[in-house]
Amino acid sequence: MEFEPKIVAFLCNWCSYAGADLAGIGRIQYPPNIRVVRIPCTGRMNPLFIISALRHGADGVLTSG
Amino acid sequence: MSTKPDKVGAVLVVGAGIAGIQASLDLAESGYYVYLVDKKPAIGGTMPMLDKTFPTNDCSMCILSPKLVDCGRHLNVDAITNAEVVDIEGEPGNFKVTINKKARFVDPEKCTGCGSCAEECPVKVPDEFNQGLSPRKAIYKLYAQAYPNAYAIDPAKCLKIKKPKACGKCLKVCQAEAINHEMQDETIEIEVGSVILCPGFEKFDVSQLFYYGYGKNPNVLTSLEFERILSASGPFGGHLQRPSDGKEPQKIAWIQCVGSRNCRIEHGYCSSVCCMYAIKEAVIAKEHTHYPLDTAIFFMDMRTFGKDFEKYYDRARLENGVRFIRSRVYEVTEANDGSGNCRIRYSNEDGTISYEDFDLVVLSLGLEPNPEIVELAGKLGLELNKFNFCEPTALTGVGTNKPGIYVAGAFSGPRDIPETVMQASAAAAASAANLATVRGTMTKAKEYPAEKDVAGEIVRTGVFICHCGINIGSVVNVPEVVAYAKTLPGVVFADEKMYACSQDTSAQIKEAIEQYGLNRIIVASCSPRTHEPMFQETLREAGLNPNLFEMANIRDQCSWVHMNEPEKATAKAKDLVKMAVYKAALLEPIASVSLDMNHDALVIGGGVAGMTAATNLSRQGYQVCLVEKTDALGGIANRLRFGMRGEDLPQFVGELVDQVNNDANIKVYTGVEITDVHGFVGNFETTLSSGEVIRHGVVIIATGAEEYKPTEYLYGQNDNVMTLLELEGLLAAKDSKLTGAKNFVFIQCVGSRDAERPYCSRICCTKSVKQALKVKELNPEANVFVLYRDIRTYGFYEEMYREARNKGVIFIRYSVDNKPVVEAGANGVKVTVTDHVLGVPVNINADVVGLAAAIVADRNTNGKLSQFYKVPLNQEGFFLEAHMKLRPVDFGTDGVFMCGLAHGPKNLEENIAQAKAAVGRACTVLAKQSISVEGKSAFVNEKKCAGCGDCEAVCPAKAVQVDATKKVAVVNEALCKGCGACASTCRCGAINVKGCTNQQIMAMINAL
Amino acid sequence: MQKLAAQIKDAAKKLLEDKKVDLVVGFAEGSLPLRGTPLFARTPEEAEKLTWSRGCENNLANYLRKREGKVAVVAKGCDARSIVALVKENQINRDNLYIIGVPCTGMIDRKKVEKLLEGREVLAIEDIGDAVVLKGKDFSETVALADLMHNSCLDCRYGNPVLYDELVGELLPEKGEDDFAEIKAFEAKTTAERRAYLAQEFSKCIRCYACRNACPVCYCTECFVDCTTPEWIGKSAADVQDNILFQAVRVFHSAGRCADCGACERACPMGINLRLLTRKLVKDVKELFNAEAGVNLDDKAALASFTADDPEPFLVKE
Repeated sequence: MEFEPKIVAFLCNWCSYAGADLAGIGRIQYPPNIRVVRIPCTGRMNPLFIISALRHGADGVLTSG
Repeated sequence: MSTKPDKVGAVLVVGAGIAGIQASLDLAESGYYVYLVDKKPAIGGTMPMLDKTFPTNDCSMCILSPKLVDCGRHLNVDAITNAEVVDIEGEPGNFKVTINKKARFVDPEKCTGCGSCAEECPVKVPDEFNQGLSPRKAIYKLYAQAYPNAYAIDPAKCLKIKKPKACGKCLKVCQAEAINHEMQDETIEIEVGSVILCPGFEKFDVSQLFYYGYGKNPNVLTSLEFERILSASGPFGGHLQRPSDGKEPQKIAWIQCVGSRNCRIEHGYCSSVCCMYAIKEAVIAKEHTHYPLDTAIFFMDMRTFGKDFEKYYDRARLENGVRFIRSRVYEVTEANDGSGNCRIRYSNEDGTISYEDFDLVVLSLGLEPNPEIVELAGKLGLELNKFNFCEPTALTGVGTNKPGIYVAGAFSGPRDIPETVMQASAAAAASAANLATVRGTMTKAKEYPAEKDVAGEIVRTGVFICHCGINIGSVVNVPEVVAYAKTLPGVVFADEKMYACSQDTSAQIKEAIEQYGLNRIIVASCSPRTHEPMFQETLREAGLNPNLFEMANIRDQCSWVHMNEPEKATAKAKDLVKMAVYKAALLEPIASVSLDMNHDALVIGGGVAGMTAATNLSRQGYQVCLVEKTDALGGIANRLRFGMRGEDLPQFVGELVDQVNNDANIKVYTGVEITDVHGFVGNFETTLSSGEVIRHGVVIIATGAEEYKPTEYLYGQNDNVMTLLELEGLLAAKDSKLTGAKNFVFIQCVGSRDAERPYCSRICCTKSVKQALKVKELNPEANVFVLYRDIRTYGFYEEMYREARNKGVIFIRYSVDNKPVVEAGANGVKVTVTDHVLGVPVNINADVVGLAAAIVADRNTNGKLSQFYKVPLNQEGFFLEAHMKLRPVDFGTDGVFMCGLAHGPKNLEENIAQAKAAVGRACTVLAKQSISVEGKSAFVNEKKCAGCGDCEAVCPAKAVQVDATKKVAVVNEALCKGCGACASTCRCGAINVKGCTNQQIMAMINAL
Repeated sequence: MQKLAAQIKDAAKKLLEDKKVDLVVGFAEGSLPLRGTPLFARTPEEAEKLTWSRGCENNLANYLRKREGKVAVVAKGCDARSIVALVKENQINRDNLYIIGVPCTGMIDRKKVEKLLEGREVLAIEDIGDAVVLKGKDFSETVALADLMHNSCLDCRYGNPVLYDELVGELLPEKGEDDFAEIKAFEAKTTAERRAYLAQEFSKCIRCYACRNACPVCYCTECFVDCTTPEWIGKSAADVQDNILFQAVRVFHSAGRCADCGACERACPMGINLRLLTRKLVKDVKELFNAEAGVNLDDKAALASFTADDPEPFLVKE
């Protein structure tokens, strides 16, 4: 079986999350391996979230904002 | 019978671009009802079409969309789209407005914006939003993030509207039954107290200038076309390519002043924005390519006169390698080598002729007024200038010849976004000043049932999963997700909905809350960015705290982006629902916070900006303290004699001072400074050097600026050398020193645009030209020379530049590394400058040398105030606004505003506009009974807090401070924006954010 | 050394006699050589016990947080840097603190001595400039100081206290820049090599948290590792990954605040190379933000301040 990475993304509500919405509106197709956590601002991005996500089996973490 | 109030507490805003949106929001937040009318089917204007914005390179849409949403959802803004104002009758306070609302053929109340109709529609039409570079359908949404988030039918293209029996495919697919091809135009009449015209601009029609090859050569583009090409939502998804053949361009040229500074076609004005947008496009284009892109800008004068623009220009030139070619372009032809490239033939500064080939040529199109608005203006009797712009009445910033009707944005003259926003807030303040007596009489407020107390209740989660017609349901197996949701902890109810956002579903959600005792609600549908407030409203109507709600975005971020992988999309939807359920279990009600507030204002600085702000605040009915550190009001304007448009400034300033002194609402303090400040928005306590303590709710900083004291060009050593302000005094007095003088020299950029002050002082070019004309008026025989680097007579001041040249004023350009030399001579001084055309030094025996000295910030005063009110300064010592583009008079710190020269160099007219803008923004705070905040703020666990102060250091809103005695952090909920920077910084885990706690986020992570 | 000890004693006694301070925190001789122990003197008599030797390795900043009353402290370079860091973090009130600064030429690492003597017990140590004489039952060995000093002392560039109210002894000449050679060597390894090394090193960890407790800047009421809501990371020492994550977060929390005093490594009963991590962060903070912990009272916290010029190496560029 091919490796299917699990990616957790922390996206800022105001830009990247909106960008992810826009990708949807534009029907831009991308692999369904990503799980998005919406945060109020990338300032909310506690480094421990990244570590915790990796601990819980995420293969990658994307922070964008 | 009650008597009708003599005025109407509502305002009409014509044009829903950024100016209209800003004015509407300011007014609606200040207690007025707003009718916002736009001829397009969505609000937004030009800004959504732009890719990035100068000088911050922010994405245009990213910074605009929060305002779109705020404006669109505002209870007191009625956005009337697809509509045109036909007539306005009446007088200030009582206007009757007739609006023609065109048939949209889609009911925006019913349309969910899902887009199924457009997918089915067989008719392709060039998309005007993308400047025709890509197609849209006959049923369309103007752009992705449009508000209203609803489609509209283009009646000229729709098959069914042309032939009622044809097509109708959209009807079949629209499960919301929102489409009606028989809809008719409507005429609406409304009553308002004031009118703001901000219809924006049209781009110059370049077809009349055949020599640029536009329309003939497909690789000659307009600047707006190029914006769309750069945009990720544009025709090529942000991939930089030629529309003609898809080739990646290696060389791109911009040609400036296309339709600007051109008398032959009656466009003698400067469009003010094109230099900056061309630089921006060149810089951003370079960012787009993975290969080195050659960019060149062909220009006459580089007019980067706005705040931080000069630095942007410097960076583009020195760091990004954009080429700047000072030239006059003759024509653009095809290269004739089969490449489709464009050949630009141009004359250099020395008169030699060159040509160069480019893959793409972008024409920097000027701005012109919209002909329909010009027609309306004619009907209303509005005075327009010779170019049909509605230039504000002198020294009003936003006034027109018709009382009660105000103007903002590019219709008042070409201007960029920050100035447009500023003017919009100013127009809001000006129109509200007339209506203070009827403030709050037209606005609506919604009543809700009392909130149920869910504290201590077992979690009972209800999950509603939306099909969104076929948008979700055709990809994600919704019943499977519903079944899965029922197995999740805490879920007692799960159901599927055709459209979760429809009216009947809202009723069903309320019913389910009642029937199943639900205390947490999850909707799995589209984006919380667009729909969360609506669902939260449903919760409030059902007596639940709106924060007991969570959304799972299974459309925009799932079904739409994984259309070909239904199984994986279903699995992802399940995960997203699971994450939401886990988080929801930890959601707690969040109470909004309400604090008392003081409704008085403090204005710091008694110059024209400060006085204008004070008088306007007074007219709005607020008490004002005006503090001036010198002994007299007037500020630097006391030294001005001639207005840029011929106004009598001493008279104007004198009258303003009298007005302030005689205003019962204004308490004037002169000869005092601020020595200490405590508190925050709504509750400031400011101590004066006199010992008096002023309590106020807001503060407007208008501390002005100073004229640079030159150390160069023999200033201070030779009486014949003086600054422009000094010269102004002599000119007004018709001093004998001038009447006898024969040769006048003006030297520009003295202390500006250099390493120490890398900014343009903006007004000196115009001022010098004005004074040159005054000299000529005084003595037509005098020889006047202006030594300059770029003449920056932006906007309509370009006319003055032309007049000066016509009257024989000689303009000599010098280069920054070969500045003019001023030496003492037998009679007067000898000025030597190397002429840019001849290339040889020219000697002028000058009787008078006027130095266009820079405008410099009062670092001392500003520095103190910056610390007192916790607001930043930029490197030059001017105050730094919250956002360069969209919040030009605000600070990150609530309740603190600024205007005038304290913000940066600008002329009197602009300072007045900005002063009113600061009032417009301040009134959005003052109009509130109390300070009410949503409550999604940070909170501190005092047991865990060690008081280290890192949260205080990182908080951008200055909302958290370590208590000196308790040694723990304390959050001021009135200031907290809930960004969470504190919580991420806190090592101890002592500070957290309501609605997004560490525990809640970890619960989502654990769900995976 | 004896001279310094006498000066410290005099200074402390005077402060207590003049009632300028209520307490002097310094070092007393331990029960064994190189076992200098913290002393809390509240009277001039108690201050008699104060001393100064090559065994005064503890970071006394640990004992100063949130104390009532006026306190004096004997501070060598690393203590002073930690004190500065703690003053800036509101943990120490500078107004109530009197610093007796002592220029420090380095402390001796008992483990290095033990290794050198191969089981023989050292009973006395004599300082002779650049070398020390280790004396035991039937032996006396002269060893270069550099061979016995703590690694942290070998790397130290701040022997002189950065902040003091009174200085005993003479200021030492400035040292050159730290070259971070061992960190650079570690960075040069492949990811797999680094991962293997860390896994091996942290398989030793028993989660006793002595490193944390010894650290002057680890003062949270509740450490993230102890937190249960949310549970950030696992608490069992059996999971090497969790051990590494614990250390990673611990050193990250001290980034820009760690004065590299070496207390964590000294405290580790398992001999884990903890300074590899702390120094990596010291190096990064210096390179990225041009900042060093606790070198003056004015610098803002490196990780809690922002400028537009901050490097953003984590950003992914297209």
